[in-house]
Amino acid sequence: MPPTGLEAVFLDHRDKLLRFLRARGAGEAAEDLVQDLWIKLGTRADGPIANPVAYLYRAADLLMIDRYRSRRQAERRDQLWEEDRHPLDGRAPSPEREVSARQETARAAAVLAAMGERKSAIFRRVRLDGVPQRRVAEEFGVSLSTVESDLRDVARALLKLKDEIR
Amino acid sequence: MTAFGGEGDTGPVDGEALDWALRMTDPEADWEAFTAWLEGDPARAGRYDRAVVELERMTRAIPVAAPPASEDRRPLAAPPPPRSRRGWMSAAIAAALVGSVGLGVWSQRDQSYTVATRPGEQRTVELADGSSITLAGGSRVRLDGADPRSAAVEAGDMLFTVRHDAAMPFRVRAGDLTLVDLGTVFDVRTGGGRTRVAVSEGAVMVGGGGRSLRLDPGQAVVSDGRALRRERQDVAEIGGWREGLLTFSDATLDEVAAALSRHLGVAVAAAPAVGTRPFNGSIELAPLRRDPRLLGELLGVEIRRDGGGWTLDAPR
Repeated sequence: MPPTGLEAVFLDHRDKLLRFLRARGAGEAAEDLVQDLWIKLGTRADGPIANPVAYLYRAADLLMIDRYRSRRQAERRDQLWEEDRHPLDGRAPSPEREVSARQETARAAAVLAAMGERKSAIFRRVRLDGVPQRRVAEEFGVSLSTVESDLRDVARALLKLKDEIR
Repeated sequence: MTAFGGEGDTGPVDGEALDWALRMTDPEADWEAFTAWLEGDPARAGRYDRAVVELERMTRAIPVAAPPASEDRRPLAAPPPPRSRRGWMSAAIAAALVGSVGLGVWSQRDQSYTVATRPGEQRTVELADGSSITLAGGSRVRLDGADPRSAAVEAGDMLFTVRHDAAMPFRVRAGDLTLVDLGTVFDVRTGGGRTRVAVSEGAVMVGGGGRSLRLDPGQAVVSDGRALRRERQDVAEIGGWREGLLTFSDATLDEVAAALSRHLGVAVAAAPAVGTRPFNGSIELAPLRRDPRLLGELLGVEIRRDGGGWTLDAPR
């Protein structure tokens, strides 16, 4: 069977994806990950894809984000396990940390409100609703670079909040 | 120190990496430029991973609510596009492609699913993080495959047994309340316009009505949508419905009837004449399953057969 559209694009871009995965820190696993992608393309059950190259890169990127996430979770488990066995003074379940965690929601809302209506609305539209930035720019009647800088401002404020909470 | 991310795992998120994290979810993202940036320094991949994860975490903390008035002020005359939860690359595709965990921000909202029980049924749902939720009959909870540390109570009663993780608190939305666990077994009951939360182990932070308070074991809070009221409840009784014991304090007969319908799987309603009467106490379900008429004596009302169910009414 001849390769379908997406598979043809995959074959064309296989080397670039491999290079991308290596740059993303996949190391020796890069070949295996590209192979995983290839296999999964075959089991895909959905319609045509508007931008197959971006789709493939994004899928590869998500594979790496996934790996990072599971690694962090494993490390956190190990760390909790260690703390259980050797509670360190002042480090074992600190009430401050727990109280901070619950404040996150309220403070994130406050940060967003403080950014002003347009910035927070643009951030929500892109990051929560998943609408492409160009379309959001059209919706709000602003330039693409305004959308980009609004996103940056809100993201920085949110992450600054995270550093304060920690 | 770990092999991945290295020193980047603590401290502020790298601003440059954050910019890439914002860009790369867009369909117009320039992947070759991104590859070139990554190749400039092997540590950048780890910084990017961390920026992505932290950005998603803080984005998840944003309460889901429509931005005020922004729809109206949109400068375009065209109708606003549907507020689709689907991004440019649909979640279904992404899930098929990369498995079910840890997708990008544009897809994480797509992975919600509902678990519901029929009246009289009881069911325990195990979550990916080791937590579990036991649903009473006639209850419904909304869960998110992309965020196993969250749940939204849509109807009924359920007991949460949450595996605690201070770095990633378990969040529950119930009616107008937001609950954040501090290591915990807690019961949520909804119905009759009220939401009640009772803690049997650990502690829960409850936010609602502009207030926030901490519940320890044996403590409960009731919200009627306007105000929060504290209550006490014997720890042994909390979640007692799993063994067939329903406990009420300051409940109306409307609420009691609604709860009985769910737990027994038999329609029970209170007539308007008695619906607002208060009830305090425990009801054992097993005898009622055999003979619902016992309820009349227990609640001080008359009970009559009504179609397929039972109606509580004032004694004639």
